[in-house]
Amino acid sequence: MMGKVTWKTVRHGAEEGLSATWELAKIVIPTTMVVAIFRASGLLDSITGFVAPYMSWFGLSGEAALVLFSGYLINLYAAAGSIMALTLSVKEITICSVMLLLCHSLLVELPISKKAGGPLTYTFLVRMGCSLAAGWLLGVILP
Amino acid sequence: MTVLWEGFVQGISGVLKIALIVIPLMIVLEIAQANGWLQKANRIAAKPFRAIGVSEEGVFPILVAAVFGLTYGSGLIINHVRSGRVTAQEARIIGTFMAIAHALVEDTIIFAVLGAPVLFLLVPRLVLAFGVCYAIHKRGAAAPSGQGNDLQASQ
Repeated sequence: MMGKVTWKTVRHGAEEGLSATWELAKIVIPTTMVVAIFRASGLLDSITGFVAPYMSWFGLSGEAALVLFSGYLINLYAAAGSIMALTLSVKEITICSVMLLLCHSLLVELPISKKAGGPLTYTFLVRMGCSLAAGWLLGVILP
Repeated sequence: MTVLWEGFVQGISGVLKIALIVIPLMIVLEIAQANGWLQKANRIAAKPFRAIGVSEEGVFPILVAAVFGLTYGSGLIINHVRSGRVTAQEARIIGTFMAIAHALVEDTIIFAVLGAPVLFLLVPRLVLAFGVCYAIHKRGAAAPSGQGNDLQASQ
């Protein structure tokens, strides 16, 4: 059952891993820095107060809106950076994660899906619908 | 300045934690690809997908998207349609499935490292992907207008 493992395969895999890490670093580090500034300047608090009532539908605090927005619009790395820079509970991290795994990087992925799946609005509605439904459900059932 | 430094350190330590898992996993995926393990998994995975109207031929792009990401899966499905290996309706189901559930390895790791339970990171995506695709399959004819849809235009 065990297949062949060559030095070349291992090296190629390691290169892929390193380049993924580099892509990750390029986005995560600026994000954590921007969020840190948002936080220190008080800008985060004003945004947070504004969206908090809506976030509570999903069992989330206002700060989590920043995570959702960075994930929906930019990508999961940016969302991860936001999570690292904020202090969210495990429940909140779990809910954000599930919502974002279903729907993320829309600016990049919707055009890709258009080629393989269907019209932009169709894919957008399916993914956003799944994301919001799952978030609401988890907000209700998670202790 | 301290604020920026604090953000920088948070970012670096997060990246390192993820790198420790991503790099070994990429090596494993590379080995899997070199040995054609995905083709073997295809035969086993084919059965549950029959229920949502996807043929054994159509399962492969879904598996590729699940393991390597949406871009790779989409590339394959476009080829499959051009060469007539899957119908437009089947392509719609496959495309929807992979829009909801893709990059099950890499994307899962990002959030697992941040403390979310792995079960929550995998199950909802798979359940919703099967559920939505089952609904499309049962509804029959391809959903919403094909406007702007390369696949149907090329049929």
